[in-house]
Formats: sequence, C-alpha cells, structure tokens
Amino acid sequence: MIEFEHVSFEYEKGKAVIDDMSFSIDKGESVGLIGANGAGKSTIMKLLLGLATGSGRISIDGTDVNSENLSKIRKKMGFVLQNSDNQMFMPTVYEDMMFAPLNYMVSREDAEKRVDAILKSLDLEELKYKYNHKISGGEKRMAAIATILAMEPEIILMDEPTSALDPYNRRIVINTIKGLEQTKIITSHDLDMILDTCERVILISKGKVIADGPADKILSDKELLEKHRMELPLGKQ
Amino acid sequence: MEKALAELGHMDEMAVMDSPVHHLNAGAKLLATVIYIIVVMSFDKYSLSGLVPMLLWPVFMYQMSGIHVSTCFYKLRIVLPLVMAVGLFNPIFDREIMFTIGGVGVSGGVISMITLMLKGVLCLMASFLLVATTPFDSICAALQRVHMPKMLVTLLLLTYRYVGVMTEELAVMTDAYHLRAPGQKGIQFSAWGSFLGQVLLRSMDRAQELYSSMLLRGYHQHFHYAPIKKFGSEDAIYLALSIAFFAAVKMINFGELLGSMFMR
Amino acid sequence: MHMADALLAPAVAGAMYVASGAAAGVSIKKLKEDDNTQKLPTMAVTAAVVFAGQMINYTIPGTGSSGHMCGGMLLTALLGPFAGFLSMIVVLAIQCLFFADGGLMALGANIWNMAFYGCFVGYYLIWKPIIHSKWFGEGKSALRSRIIVASILGCVITLQLGAFSVVLETSLSGITELPFGAFLALMQPIHLAIGLVEGLITAAVLCFVFESRPEMLMDVDEVGVPLEAKRSLNSTVAILAIVALVVGGGLSLFASGNPDGLEWALFGNADGGYSTNMGLDEENFGVESSVAEKAESVQEKTSFLPDYAFPDSESAVGTSVSGIVGAAMVAALAVLISIAGKFFRKKNNA
Repeated sequence: MIEFEHVSFEYEKGKAVIDDMSFSIDKGESVGLIGANGAGKSTIMKLLLGLATGSGRISIDGTDVNSENLSKIRKKMGFVLQNSDNQMFMPTVYEDMMFAPLNYMVSREDAEKRVDAILKSLDLEELKYKYNHKISGGEKRMAAIATILAMEPEIILMDEPTSALDPYNRRIVINTIKGLEQTKIITSHDLDMILDTCERVILISKGKVIADGPADKILSDKELLEKHRMELPLGKQ
Repeated sequence: MEKALAELGHMDEMAVMDSPVHHLNAGAKLLATVIYIIVVMSFDKYSLSGLVPMLLWPVFMYQMSGIHVSTCFYKLRIVLPLVMAVGLFNPIFDREIMFTIGGVGVSGGVISMITLMLKGVLCLMASFLLVATTPFDSICAALQRVHMPKMLVTLLLLTYRYVGVMTEELAVMTDAYHLRAPGQKGIQFSAWGSFLGQVLLRSMDRAQELYSSMLLRGYHQHFHYAPIKKFGSEDAIYLALSIAFFAAVKMINFGELLGSMFMR
Repeated sequence: MHMADALLAPAVAGAMYVASGAAAGVSIKKLKEDDNTQKLPTMAVTAAVVFAGQMINYTIPGTGSSGHMCGGMLLTALLGPFAGFLSMIVVLAIQCLFFADGGLMALGANIWNMAFYGCFVGYYLIWKPIIHSKWFGEGKSALRSRIIVASILGCVITLQLGAFSVVLETSLSGITELPFGAFLALMQPIHLAIGLVEGLITAAVLCFVFESRPEMLMDVDEVGVPLEAKRSLNSTVAILAIVALVVGGGLSLFASGNPDGLEWALFGNADGGYSTNMGLDEENFGVESSVAEKAESVQEKTSFLPDYAFPDSESAVGTSVSGIVGAAMVAALAVLISIAGKFFRKKNNA
C-alpha cells in the first residue's frame, strides 16, 4: 500500500536527513516508527504527506506522491499532529471535525451524522460543542484524533500521540489506537505504547532504516535499542 | 498576564451562560446594541436629563441576563480616563451658568462633563453586555451575515483561537523570566528584543504547522462555520421593543417631564 | 489610545468606519490578488502574538516605569502593509468584540488611528524607503541601523498621526470645550514619549528577528542581507543624531499649539490620569499595579519631558529648546540601542 523506494531528502546540500530509504507497508498494518531525536521520523511523515519533496519514489496504492496527486493522496491520509493546538484551529470541536468533510464536499447533514457517530464511538459526546481552547490536554488529544477520524482516512499517521498525557489519558489514547482498523504509522519515543499498539517496528537512525521487523523482536533487543539512544520498554524489562 | 488569562476564561464562561438574553440571536443583539450606542452618542452635550432614562435599558438587560452590572465596571478603567480627561476641561472653558441649585450656579460645562461621562458609562455597559452574553464565534457569524468579508471573519476566528494559546505561552515565559529576575517589575532592556522575538520566531513555525494541518484536511480557501441560530419571533420582539424604547427616550425628554411634574 | 464611543458623534464614527472599511477592502482585494491566502495562518498567529505581547511590561531603563507596545509598525514590518493592517484590525476587533475594550462604534476610528497609520504610512513612507536607502552605507550592520531608525521613526510618526486624529475626531464631534490647539498640545507630547518607547521595543524585536531570520522581514529579503562590511561608526552616530534632532525639534514645534499659562498648569495635573492610560503604563488587561506605584509612575511620566514648554513662553523658540532637550534624550537612547545591537551581535557570534 505504501511504498518508499530509494527516497532521499536533504534540507541543506550534503546533509541528508533521509538517505536512500526503502520500505513498504501493507494495508491494515500498524507500524511504529522509532529512532532518536533528529533521526528523520518527522521528515518521513512530511514526505509521505507531500509536505516535503525529496528524490526517489513514494507511492500510495500505486499513486505517486507528487504535486499533481496531492489532493487525491491527502484525502486518504489523516495526520494527527503532536501539538493538538496546531491541529485544531476552529473555534469548537464540532466545527473542527466538520472542517475536512465539508472541504471534501460531504453535505452538512451527512458530515454531522459522521461526527456524531465518531464522538459516540470514542465516548466524547460531551465535547461536541466545547471550545477548543477550553478543553484539557487529554481531551484535546482525543478531539484531535476524532477530527482526523472524521476524514474517514485509509491511513492514519500519528506523531507522538501519547506525549504529555497523564497515565489515565495515555491509556485511553492507546486503547483508541488499538481499536482503529486503518493502516497506522505511529512515531514515538514511548516504546511501551508502540509495543502495545504496533505489530511491526521500523527503527531508523541518521536517515537510514536500521531494523525492520516484528515489534516484539526489535523492542526486546536491548543492545540494538541502546546503540541508537533508546531503552528497553518497561514491558520488556 | 495571569489576570489576562483569567479574564479570557471569564469572558468565555459568561458568554455560554444560560439566560433569555443569551438565547437571543447574535445578530439581533448586535443590531440593538449598535442602535443603542448610536442613540446615546447622538444626544446633545447638555441633554443630561434626556440621556438618563437610557440607563434603564442596559440595567434591565443585565437583570435578564443574570450578569451582575458591576462586572462591567472594571472595564471603565480603560475607557474612562480619556473621556474624563476630555470632559474635565468643559467646566473650565464653559462657565456660563445654566441654572442654580440652592444658590450654587451650575455651569454648562459641568452639565456637559457629566453628560459625557454618562455617555461613556452607558456605551460601555451596552458593549459589555453584548460580548458577555454572546460567544465570540456567534458575533463573527452575525458579522458574516451582514456581509463582512469572509477573509476577515476567518482571520478573526483563527486569531481568537490562538489568543489564548499565545497569552498562555507568554504568561509562562513571563513567569520563567521573573523566577530568574527577582524584584524586576518588567522585562529589562537587554531582553526587550529576544523576549517577544523568540515567541515570534516560534509562532512562524506554528503558523506553518497550522497551515499544513489545514492543507492536509482539504483546505481550499474556504472555512465553513456552523450556521447561527435562526432569527426567531423572540428576537423580533426584543428588537422591536428595544428600538421603540430608544425612540421614545430620544424623542421625549422623560427626565424633564418627570422633573416638571414635581417641581411646579 | 483606544477611543470610547462617548467621544465621538455618530457622523464622525460612521465616517471613520467608512474610511477604515475602505482601507480594509483594498487590503483584502490585494491579498486575494496576490493569492496570499496561505498567509492567513501566519497573520492569525502573529496577530495573536501581538495581542498577547501588548500585555508585556517593558522596563524603561533609568526610569523604573514600564512601557508597552501597540504593534502596528511591528506587524507591517513582518507581514507587509495589507496583511499587517488586517491583522491589526483583528487585534483591535477582538479587544472590542470579545473584551469590550474600545467602543463598538469607535472601532472604525480606532482602526484608523492605530492600524492605518502604523501599517500604511509606517510601511510606504518610512519602512520601505529607509530599508531600501543607502543610509549608514553598506553591510549588515548598516542594514540593522536602518531597521532601528525605521522602527523608531515609524512608531513616533505614526503615533503622532494617531494622536492628531484622536484630537481631530473628538473636536469634530463637538464633545469637548477644549480648544483644538490646546488639546493638540496636550496629546502630541505624551504620544511622542509613548512613540519613542514603542519604537525602541519594536526596534529591539525586529533586530532580534533580523539576526535569526532576516527573510521574515519585509523588504529586507529584497535588499538581501549583505555580509558584515567595515562599519563606519561615525556616520551611524551622525545620522542617528540628525534623526533624533529632527524628530524632537520638529515635533515639538508642531505640538506647541497655543499654550497659555493656565492651560499648561492644568495639563500638569489633568493629563496624569490620561497618560497612565495611554500606553506608557496602560493597565490594559489588568496588569497589576498598586495605587502608590501608579502615582509614582504618573510622576515619572509627566516629568519625562519636564516643563516640556515653558509655561510663560509662547514663542516657538521656547518649545524648541525643550524639543532639543528631548532630542538629546533620543540621541542618548539611540546610543543605548547601538549598545544593545552590539550585545545582540556578540550573542550571535558566541
């Protein structure tokens, strides 16, 4: 479904952030993208979403990610930003969730039905008419996920979905992620969460894929993790 | 900064309270308030007795809305000083005695000064009532209904969304500054540029991310905001009664009338 | 300098709405033509920063009191006149429609007084020509000096225009008995001080941005950031001094109006309340300050230019003397800026 073929990217000449990277992800997989700060995780997300353009070929369902196909590609993908404040720019949760469907020409009635169904499934009904600047951090994160689900994407990208959440809210987010059937790519330093939500892990370092395999296997390889500035998740200690 | 944050929250909370006034259509309230202010502004500078009855409308509306009149008075510290400064000169330059009370002559300047200050208070009461009973996005929706350009409405709502975020960020920075600079009242000269400059730089990244988030959700030059509550019969009644009251007060000098009944 | 509804007659308020609305219409059209809609988030976030930034207290060196920033010039330097103007409108509109600060009907006038001058006059007559000029010679530090001069001149001049408009609008509304000239003489000097402080804050912020991301500043990207050339300190100081002299001397002449002894004596007492509220110590959003502090700062404010014009002298000479004194202070502040500039450079090189 998602293909990365010999992709390279550099912000400055000679300083490759992504260096000849290749991998593929199948439909329905949930993949954890891990690596130290500056390894290139966010850049991979950006390339995938067409927010940055590098060399090599990236395709989704056989469609190349390039400026011509952008709207087609982006319609399939939902990106949950790390900073929910930047994600949710409309006044209320409801209007934020309506933003994407209305842009994609869904009628207001249908979009509203969709929004209600999602809020119900995530148990967030009481948030519907709340103001985005008046809800708590945990609520904000869940609302941001709901906003993306309202797009009905086929692929969901998440950047640090559990950062700065208390254990209770973190657990809610993890359970929500586990319940999603879409293809998922999650970047995080919260390796326990990755272990919990992903069956496959891609470890990158300095713009290269270092390891790619079952989450259980990579996340129990103490030596490998420590070499790349990570630690064994608590669940494996 | 903390106080500003508290005020931000307070205004939001008041705006979503439950009362007959809160339930009125935002456009109707906006219109009534604007007409009220225009009528107040249009009173002659000496017509104190005619102006005073205008006080009744905001007082009544405050009662209906469940918001205490006194909540708006802390706003006076911003509005009134310039009005005062201007008004205070009137008694000095305009010394013509208009009438005498118990042997003390009251000059036209004193009357016009008091009229001016009353106008200031009345206009503030009305504006505050409007913003305290109407959520900001409803006001914006009403503005769009009266054909304010879409771009400006979008910009207003986007900015409103980030005013809280940025205020909080600056409040945190201010705290961090003062924790390392005990005894300083403000930001010292050497940090003037970097303090706000840092925030500006970061906010550019924020804006970039925000724009990405818009693009990724299919943004193409249009924002769709929820439609506002329809204009109903209660809004019509409210508007009609308010305007009738303003017109009556404007045309009949009730103060004079009442006074002359007793003073004869 | 937020005006209240009470200070305006409906006709004047309406006229100001029309004027501001026309300028806003042109700005929107211009932005649409340039297809600058991707600028919208930047405008919104920057406006939010300016909104919050207005609440910061800046300690004015050597006085113990604090100054504030209004932001018109800052926005125009960052976003350009059209986007800057719209952002400034949004700041004022939120203050008006969400906080009830500044009157609903006076909004048109407030936009004109605070946003129009700062953004359009500030950009086309001050920022753009100065940045593109050859002042201070070549090199990065010369460009920095131009940014500083443009910021200070911009804020001072646009605030003077704003204050002038406040007087004009109030007088036209027939609200005050205060003679036009006397009112002017009351307003302009106060706003000279306020403009200077705002100018210095703006200059400091823009210099910081210039050091970190020069491409963010209007016209600077066009001019290009030159490499550090040998800096001719003398010419820099000379031009700064001339600018200060012109600003101080010229404006005080302009501001002199027709003061007589009585009026001046009155201003000494009456303008205190006003000046505290006009920016220098604006307790705009509830920034705390005890009564004692307030009284103290009022005193400082009013003595910022003590006996700005000699009470018994009605001649232009008298005014100019204090104008020159003011100008000297500007020059002193200019020196302070260059010290600050050095500080920034050191920090950057480190």
